[in-house]
Amino acid sequence: MPQPETTIESKNIIPAVETSDKPVADVSFVSPFHDEISGNAVSIMALPHKENFFVYIWRTVNELRYVKFALASFVVNSLRRRYQRSVLGFAWSLLNPLLMMIVLTTVFSLIFKRDPKTYGIFIFTGMLPWTFISESIAAGCSSITSAENFMKKVYIPKIFFPLVTVSTEVINFSLGLVSMIALALLFGLQLHWTILLLPIAIAITFFFTFGLSLALAVGTVYFRDIAHFVRVILTCFFYLIPIVYPLSAVPEKYVGFFQANPFSHFINLYRQIIYYGNLPTGQEWLNPILLAIASLCLGFFILRQKEKDIIFRL
Amino acid sequence: MTAEITIENASLRFRIYRNPSPGLKESVIRSFSKNKSAQSVIEFDALKNINLSIYGGTRLGIVGLNGAGKSTLLKMIVGIYPPQVGRIHVHGKITPMIELGTGFDYELSGRENIYLNGALLGRSYKQMKQLEAEITDFSELAEMIDLPIKYYSSGMLGRLAFSIGAIVDPDILLLDEIFAAGDAHFVQKSVNRLREIFSTSQIVMLVSHDLEQIKDLCNKVMVLHKGSIVKIGEPKEMIDYYLKEIVHFEHNANLAHAHT
Repeated sequence: MPQPETTIESKNIIPAVETSDKPVADVSFVSPFHDEISGNAVSIMALPHKENFFVYIWRTVNELRYVKFALASFVVNSLRRRYQRSVLGFAWSLLNPLLMMIVLTTVFSLIFKRDPKTYGIFIFTGMLPWTFISESIAAGCSSITSAENFMKKVYIPKIFFPLVTVSTEVINFSLGLVSMIALALLFGLQLHWTILLLPIAIAITFFFTFGLSLALAVGTVYFRDIAHFVRVILTCFFYLIPIVYPLSAVPEKYVGFFQANPFSHFINLYRQIIYYGNLPTGQEWLNPILLAIASLCLGFFILRQKEKDIIFRL
Repeated sequence: MTAEITIENASLRFRIYRNPSPGLKESVIRSFSKNKSAQSVIEFDALKNINLSIYGGTRLGIVGLNGAGKSTLLKMIVGIYPPQVGRIHVHGKITPMIELGTGFDYELSGRENIYLNGALLGRSYKQMKQLEAEITDFSELAEMIDLPIKYYSSGMLGRLAFSIGAIVDPDILLLDEIFAAGDAHFVQKSVNRLREIFSTSQIVMLVSHDLEQIKDLCNKVMVLHKGSIVKIGEPKEMIDYYLKEIVHFEHNANLAHAHT
């Protein structure tokens, strides 16, 4: 039997070609993107020095400017794909909620014996934001795991895919709102000036949903069951939130419980602005804003814990 | 600006989970069980203690057996796999040609895919706008460019993917087993194009099993074995070393194994 004279493992390993005697600039960036603007070099470090949580958020968000074109492309493509080859195309974004509203209004105005005109808008003001929140979260859960093929081939910040999902949904949601307002005008319903506050409400909801989706997307990498579990939970919440019924229909002793539900603060915001035409009170603004901040912190906190490990677990 | 890559003491460890995501049930059970080996995790060091400095003007060929860590090294430099130990310092705009046609969406047209793929490679809309015509020209797909790419033949897809990757002006070019696809004419054209980017990029790292190609294109060669850098030096010398010490050795070991 020919015995090999040397084994590779026992060989001395020559460490480097030309060992650098130049000091390597100690940059706090951990992003592999080259900073074209300032021309600074960028480092990837195994363990970034303990950076402040808010510095981390700033850096992560800042990294997005290198991929803003990719972000736009992905959002446009996923919207485009949704209605591709259908005759009506983008009109479905407007038609879908319209048809949905007709069904819901017919059913519920028969059950609850309400005026179908105003009841339609009532349901709609709850239904649209809820669809946005629940769809984003449901799709957000699997946004990182389903992007495995991208993440293993090119460098993309981890927050990219959850952000694409929520951004796509927020555009759909905005189109839905437009179609709802058009409908309301068509039915001759009175609209209030407060709908001008909609962009602010949308922004708050967007951040809330994004934070939650980010946290769940990272979680799903470790426990794939989360994605399935979340769908069930979301269905429960649909009935726990005053969407198809007003809060006043809830028995007195349970009202506190229903109000404690984080999602209802968002639904309430839209209802006040569109349906009742009230300027939301300070508390009604503050609750969703605080929830959005908490959700973002949760999302970024979980991301920071796991960012460097995710790729190995896909 | 001079391009530079410095890798200090970097190690990359893969953990392979028999069951990549254990699910809630199993992890609850596991957290109660004392037997930690039940975790069914295999760890292996894909890259061990890599120290490397590459300066402008280097055309570094990387040779090694399958699984030596060649592609992983490139992916680590790009940032896909962050090392658990050590650091990587990159100065210059990296263009990876690691996997061509990443993110191709078969429902979208060739033109839309040019933008999408370019975006994934980190280019801006402005850059893609400038490069679009050149990419279409090079791929010779001008008359089909607005059709969904699901109607393309595999040769055409290969041409499109190559063209997007190759129409660039990188500081640092990372190439992993890039083969030109298509007919003989396009292959020749691609090879010429690769030569061209080779000469304009400041740093090139080329992973290939085609040793002649490496000898031809590179001015330095690195031998990787089981995640470690074994040697770096002149191409001819290194390739001889690689063939004699590693390929030959593995071959003999396999023969010995087959006989027993």
